[in-house]
Amino acid sequence: MTNLFELEDVVFSHRKDLPPVLKNFSLTVEEGARTAVLGANGAGKTTLFYTLTGVNVPQSGQIIYKGTPLEYTKDGLRSLRSDVAVILQNPDEQIFCSLVEEDVAFGPLNLGLDREVVEQRVTKALRDVRMTGYERRPLQQLSGGQRKRVAIAGALAMDPKVMIMDEPTSGLDPQASMEVMELAEKLSLNGVTVLLSTHDIHLAYRWADVTNVLCEGRVEFKGDADEFYSDTETVYKCGLLTPSVFSMNRDVCAVKRIDPAPHPHNACEFLAKFGRNSKSGKLLLVPSEPEDAEGRFDTAVGDLKGTNKGVYGSDVRNALTDIDIEYRYDGMEGCFKDVVEGKDSILLYDPVYAPTMDRQIDRLKKFGFDIDCEVMR
Amino acid sequence: MSEPILEARNVVYSYSRKGPKALDNMNISITKGTKTAILGSNGAGKSTLFGVLNALYKPEKGEVRYNGTPLSYKHKSIVKMRSEVSILFQNPNDMMFRPYVGQDVAFGPENLRLPKDEVDKRVEEALLTVGMEEYIKSPIMKLSYGQRKRVSLAGVLAMKPSVLIMDEPTAGLDPQMASEVMEIAEQLHSRGVTVVMSSHDTDLVYSWADEIHVINRGTCVYSGIPEPFYEDRMLVQRSGLLLPSVYEMNRSLADMGSCDLEPYPRTQTQLSVKTSDSGGKAFGTLHVVTATADTDIASVIAEKNLGSMPSGAYGISAKMAIKKQGYEVDFLYNGPENCVMKCLAGIDSVIICDPDVIDLATSSVKFIGGNGYGDINVDII
Repeated sequence: MTNLFELEDVVFSHRKDLPPVLKNFSLTVEEGARTAVLGANGAGKTTLFYTLTGVNVPQSGQIIYKGTPLEYTKDGLRSLRSDVAVILQNPDEQIFCSLVEEDVAFGPLNLGLDREVVEQRVTKALRDVRMTGYERRPLQQLSGGQRKRVAIAGALAMDPKVMIMDEPTSGLDPQASMEVMELAEKLSLNGVTVLLSTHDIHLAYRWADVTNVLCEGRVEFKGDADEFYSDTETVYKCGLLTPSVFSMNRDVCAVKRIDPAPHPHNACEFLAKFGRNSKSGKLLLVPSEPEDAEGRFDTAVGDLKGTNKGVYGSDVRNALTDIDIEYRYDGMEGCFKDVVEGKDSILLYDPVYAPTMDRQIDRLKKFGFDIDCEVMR
Repeated sequence: MSEPILEARNVVYSYSRKGPKALDNMNISITKGTKTAILGSNGAGKSTLFGVLNALYKPEKGEVRYNGTPLSYKHKSIVKMRSEVSILFQNPNDMMFRPYVGQDVAFGPENLRLPKDEVDKRVEEALLTVGMEEYIKSPIMKLSYGQRKRVSLAGVLAMKPSVLIMDEPTAGLDPQMASEVMEIAEQLHSRGVTVVMSSHDTDLVYSWADEIHVINRGTCVYSGIPEPFYEDRMLVQRSGLLLPSVYEMNRSLADMGSCDLEPYPRTQTQLSVKTSDSGGKAFGTLHVVTATADTDIASVIAEKNLGSMPSGAYGISAKMAIKKQGYEVDFLYNGPENCVMKCLAGIDSVIICDPDVIDLATSSVKFIGGNGYGDINVDII
């Protein structure tokens, strides 16, 4: 993978007389990697993000974007910001207009796009965050969670190459959080580099390819999450705790006196490792375009009556709103878990997510579990 | 124990006359001394409910009862009620009234017209509890979000409330701080405070709450212990929620024949215990050392010859002593859970805790012993 961002010995402080927030800060972000940024409150995560978008100008050191040092000129910043979109932790800091649709259109209009293209993007972005129907509503009247979704839609409408998400799920209810993580996954699959900071260590552990841990303005660790969490002392020093699946695996392995590796990162992998059943249920994978989702749903269920159904992806979910589905928001978790338990299940998803399914199937093989699965044509 | 302390009866409330009803025939009864969680999706009406329960909003219809008496909404009785029922708001900036930390924490107790000595004492204690004692003279402007959250918690603690309502107390906090806030809530409960909490962290709520109330579109759709609610997957989904992962994994393991469905584990440790299936092995002993703020921990540990064991901490005073004395423990967070797992793996461990939380610190041992998963010897020093 090529490096998208390279930071070398960056020093940044908000004012000359204040101690630096980033101290000799070096970091590389690989293109296309699902990159998590973890750290305690005050470790420098948000400051890092403002530095990557050229808002914070470092006192020393440089930021290299796509091989070229960042120039803090009007043109340099405009070209950076047409590539890099940010979702701030507090949505109120990035809301510029009074109506929902105006606000989502603000970024793309600034890029100088056609009105028509902008409208399409706005419609799609609002649908992705489940805010269709709120186009003409004043932002003031929305709840905190709803404003957060509008802010996310605004970033999506920029169609960025890099998406920086600062605590994208904080303040969101569980279902909305799942949807945001699906969006992050879709962006990755579409070639967008996603940088995500979160206090939800469980979520980051399930999602990330690369984990960066910041501590007091430095990068304390970069690499594989399992290696980081195995070093309890450093985890504590960084203000973090271990994700529950990681610690459960560690504890159970200690009692059973077996090797903690391979480390399960989610429920189905944990069950595959420790459950008594090794016989797979049948997983029917049903990639569906929204237009024919209902038809494909009926065909799939016709083959396997009485099985649990799940959906993954906003298009197919929106196309199946009137149908009873057991795993409407936790489709992947639910269906894969069922299959590991030995039950059949049907998973409908937006076709873009095919590699995500393959990835989970591959990961389960590490735990000696071969899924009996079929992709419906 | 089962008497209601706070009740909403058929409450209707909307923010503007023509606007939608934020609460629509809301019925809820909070049981005295019960760890109570309020669940619901964004916009379900949780924060509005808290406002109504604290007399910030007056219902259009229906009534709110505190200790069995309907609220009168007269100034005097509201002041009295708020001295006993405190709210910790989600956003700490909504509850900062004064420029300096110490002054801000003193705001509530001063309004209660307590003598100055008593106010000072309460401020000091409250700041110690949240680990912000060094900041007593700092300007609030200079604090980070997490620090402000702790100061606002101190402000609420200084009121010594009998009911503490916490709206998303862990949102925006890093994992260690979140864990500390939960430990504080746990200890307050053990001292007799009725703690009511809303949170989007499904797993956290499941590990903590005795009773849950689920709000959907301004109405309460479920009240009771969590398991029957989670049993009804479609109701969970309609309420905008998801199942706790511990609940779901236990159910899966039971379906696979790897363990029995009951007892329901509430914490990751209890689930680990069930998964480990450690039948008949040799277990370690859990040594419990009780400590107050002035206990010289190093010498107690040395005297009892416990220095070489993995150690954990639990409780406000014990942790304070540990921090002040620079004593190093292996598990400053989730101490009891981590220590018990060491015992289960055959290693002796020591937990340093406040005298009033011994029961909490050893509750996992009871879960293990009471359900036949193993006999961990507890040695209370």
